[in-house]
Amino acid sequence: MKTGKRVSWILLAMAIVTIIFSPPRLSAQTATVKSSSGNSASGAVQWSVQVDKVNPGDVDIEPAFLVAIYENLVDELGKTKRFQQVFRDSDRTTGAVSNLLILKTTVQKYTAGSETRREVTTVSGATKLSVRSQLCTRGGQVILERTVDGNVRFLGSNLRATHNLARNVAKTIKQSALPEPSLSVPAHGAL
Amino acid sequence: MGWAWRTYMNRRVVPTEHMPHSYMLIPHRIWAYLILLIGCAVGALAQNPSEPTIVTAPFSARVTHLLGFEGVANNAGGTLSIQGSALQFQKSGKPAMELKIASVQDVFLAEQSREVGGTPMTLGKAATPFGGGRVVSLFAHKKYDTLTLEYVDANGGIHGAIFQLNKGQGEILRNELVAKGVRVSQSEDAATKQRTAEEVPSENR
Repeated sequence: MKTGKRVSWILLAMAIVTIIFSPPRLSAQTATVKSSSGNSASGAVQWSVQVDKVNPGDVDIEPAFLVAIYENLVDELGKTKRFQQVFRDSDRTTGAVSNLLILKTTVQKYTAGSETRREVTTVSGATKLSVRSQLCTRGGQVILERTVDGNVRFLGSNLRATHNLARNVAKTIKQSALPEPSLSVPAHGAL
Repeated sequence: MGWAWRTYMNRRVVPTEHMPHSYMLIPHRIWAYLILLIGCAVGALAQNPSEPTIVTAPFSARVTHLLGFEGVANNAGGTLSIQGSALQFQKSGKPAMELKIASVQDVFLAEQSREVGGTPMTLGKAATPFGGGRVVSLFAHKKYDTLTLEYVDANGGIHGAIFQLNKGQGEILRNELVAKGVRVSQSEDAATKQRTAEEVPSENR
């Protein structure tokens, strides 16, 4: 009887160990598939992008927000792996880069929020940002144009809106189909 | 016997002529007044605003790096100081990151109100019954200065960095940077706008 009990306990322990360790293996397999598909995509010729300083347009917006949008855009575009390199505005090294796109961002709408009001009322005090993002070639052809929003409604500081906005811009660009660099650059009239 | 004792008690032990003379006390009072006067004068001279204390120590303050400074994590606390011709940010226990002041192109100063207490405060507010957390939120805010720097790297690429300082320190740092040749634009307007935005938020500005 005692031996049977011991065997059953061992079997139970083995089952628990199997259950605990099996999900990571599955997720690891998923990750491998994802990375392999990513590698196949990166085999093609990639664009590089230069992020221009954010244009405030006609909107009265604090300089800290413009700087925060710009910095967050540089970060988020780098995370997408969509571009070979991400350059900053006025970077002299872009002269040697052949497949370069320029990201121009113009603020269209800005609603200054209040962290205090958000926390006290929950429904008011949101910081709202809306920008027009354009991906242009060096020749000035616009190959992608989108209006993107970034808000902070509940938790977080006002500057968090710029992070959300940059993430949405990067997501939009990542999901959009860009023309092949070698095809689109010489063709000035295309798109 | 008893009468005789009373007689003795009625006698003056010290004669009237032997009372302490008033002229013996006057010099002590005068000395006391003089000492007090000298003390006050010395104190007043020490606090005389016409002779300002020369501050030679470079600017140094505890700040929070919100974003943008190369090589420093976002929302990292540390010490921001001016060391010669460089602006230095040092997080405790980590090597300092430097930025040449000559590479700073623009400085903007603004003011913002942020919640204090961090995660413990948020959890505490959430746990407070009957919506008491909202009342706490009304008072759990502090005003800070936000200093935004625009600078260029070695390749000419534009960077931006935002630091959060205690109220009043932003202006000191900005003045120090201006004294070292940094250009300032729209800073006063930005501060005013931020204050206005905190008080009366307007739609579609």
